[in-house]
Amino acid sequence: MKLTERQADALSELINIAFARTGAALSELTGHRVVLNPPEVAVYRTEELRGALAKFVPGDVASIHQVFAGPVAGDALLLLNYAGAVQLTDLLTEGHQQPSVFLDESAREVLTEVGNILLNACLGMFGNLLNVHVTFSVPRLHLETLDELLGSITTDKTEMHFALVIYTAFQIRDSSVKGFLVIVLSVASLDRLIQEVDVWEAQQGK
Amino acid sequence: MTAVSKENLLNAAVLHWMHDLAAQGIITTDHELNVAGWNQWMEAHTGKRASEVIGHNLLDLFPELTERRLDRQYKWALEGQVRVLSQALHSYLISMPAVSVEQGFAQMQQAGRISPLSHEGRVIGTLTIIEDVTERVAREAELQSQIEARSKLLASEKLARSEAERANRLKDEFLATISHELRNPLNAIMGWAHMMRLGKLTPANAERAVETIYRNAKSQAQLVADLLDVSRIISGKLRLDVRTIDLINIVNAAIDSIRPAADVKGIRLQTMLDPAAGPISGDADRLQQIVWNLLTNAVKFTPKGGKIQVKVQRIDSHVEIVVSDSGVGISKEFLPHVFDRFRQADASTTRIHGGLGLGLSIVHQLVDLHGGGASVHSDGEGKGATFTITLPFVGVISSQQEEAAEPAQEEVTPFDGLPSLRGLKVLVVDDEADTRELIREVLKECGSEVILSRSAAEALEAIEQHKPDILISDLGMPDEDGYSLISKIRALPAEQGGQIPAAALTAYARAEDRMRVLRSGFQFHLPKPVDSAELVTVVASLAGRAYQQS
Repeated sequence: MKLTERQADALSELINIAFARTGAALSELTGHRVVLNPPEVAVYRTEELRGALAKFVPGDVASIHQVFAGPVAGDALLLLNYAGAVQLTDLLTEGHQQPSVFLDESAREVLTEVGNILLNACLGMFGNLLNVHVTFSVPRLHLETLDELLGSITTDKTEMHFALVIYTAFQIRDSSVKGFLVIVLSVASLDRLIQEVDVWEAQQGK
Repeated sequence: MTAVSKENLLNAAVLHWMHDLAAQGIITTDHELNVAGWNQWMEAHTGKRASEVIGHNLLDLFPELTERRLDRQYKWALEGQVRVLSQALHSYLISMPAVSVEQGFAQMQQAGRISPLSHEGRVIGTLTIIEDVTERVAREAELQSQIEARSKLLASEKLARSEAERANRLKDEFLATISHELRNPLNAIMGWAHMMRLGKLTPANAERAVETIYRNAKSQAQLVADLLDVSRIISGKLRLDVRTIDLINIVNAAIDSIRPAADVKGIRLQTMLDPAAGPISGDADRLQQIVWNLLTNAVKFTPKGGKIQVKVQRIDSHVEIVVSDSGVGISKEFLPHVFDRFRQADASTTRIHGGLGLGLSIVHQLVDLHGGGASVHSDGEGKGATFTITLPFVGVISSQQEEAAEPAQEEVTPFDGLPSLRGLKVLVVDDEADTRELIREVLKECGSEVILSRSAAEALEAIEQHKPDILISDLGMPDEDGYSLISKIRALPAEQGGQIPAAALTAYARAEDRMRVLRSGFQFHLPKPVDSAELVTVVASLAGRAYQQS
């Protein structure tokens, strides 16, 4: 399944609204201006996901994982490479004189909250768009290799799944931390989402 | 067990755990945020009993939640979102005192989670879980400060290491310089000596060879003297022989000794010596060395036809010696390192100016020992340099004002200007044949008769047999050293040579060596390498100075 250019543009625009809300929430929390770069969206089959992400996350991956359920169901993840995760928490909390080298419990908590805000904003936006009620699981932070991570989200082999990969970067205090938002959906859910995006896009044009 | 009773059992267990057992705060509300559940942990930490809060609106009970915009978290929870609240970004959810103040927090540090409570797809309320993370946060802060302290330590260790490496590099450069500087004169000495041995030199060339050998040996002796000075200064063994002295005499003596070198380069030496500048308190030899080093430096770095000015003036309670030149000057970068040991502005192998870079370091240390100060000024490369030495002034002129010492670096004294040693019988004791021969040649040249001995035993025999007038003895000899020899001689009756005037010849040139030599029964101490003129002068002055036991 491929997105047309117009669909990709419309989806990016919608996600950008969620990003703006996330940026505003994080700015308010930290007292620093936090901006998320406009998203770049691509669709992959879950089997292709590894190849698409491997270049960005060669070592350990920090991921915040939330499962959502309802008429549209799937997995939503915020992915950062380990160093990026450490840097992001340092930038958001600025508690230390020296850059941290590892994620302590408090840093993991912050990452979980950041992922929670971002994933809620995006999934909430999708829910509104589809006019469906989506329920969320508690966000969980995982530190593992990309293979372990991908193994944990593609458990259902009975149905073909697609991954919406949204590339962005957090801009805070003259620094930039790259991140990926990965939303894994069943083919039916993705179909429905794209249809609604088409409708929204058509309405915008009016 | 029926399904219903199983559900009842589970519900009872959950309620029991939530209310009584949980180590977290648990609050449940209905969909209007009216408190429905308030566990024992919340009672214990807020001081509010469940009966006081149940049925009341959570945001009314804790207006702070709205003030801190946490009411929105409840709004989102009611929309179905799970919200996590980190300690690092919020500190706490509901204000409670810390359990223990040991961790340094007055407020309990909390992490929280607010979830929707749903029933049949509909949100019917919220569930808040509050965790006390104060201890964890304190532990993390402690760990972080340890990491920071460690990395600071690592950084300072790294700095110390790079300093040590720099010092090591300087030492290496110095060793390279020293071997070069020592080898250079040696090459000339060996080369000319070899040609002389072959006997193929014309008389004119032979004279030139001797002249070259002498000049190079002299320059090498100066290098060794500098090195010894530095080693004494470093080890704190340099002692000043402090007396009240006339600085003008000393400066004049130094100028006289440098004048030939300045004349060769056509450098004008200008002096402005204030007679009111002296006296000062100091070591005459060392002060002359200071002035001589400054002047040598100035001559070395001043091009042909340049000018050197020496000024001595009294300013308030101190005396200033100012040596300025019109030489190559000093770059701004090198200026702070001028007095550093082993430093030369140009350390390259192709540099024009030789030397070890010790002279100015010695000047600085010697001035320090005199309680004075040394400073340097230069407007930059090519713009000359000015060295200023300040020394404390002594107010009262001592009635026993000491004469300034003779110049340490006297010019080559021609043999024919030396006193005659005719009629003197000199016994020379040294285990090294070369030294024996050299001394014999020098003394014979001045007319004395010379007897040579290779050891203390031979010397004692020679004294008995030849009754020499004067003894020149080496100190370090195998079997029996010079100290032992002189003590045996001094034990002899006068008629058997017990009072023979004696001088010790040694490479041990330290002050304490000199003291030991004089105490042991010698009247003079001649440091090696022996200077011919000095040797002859010493022998002449020893003649007729029979040893008097004090």
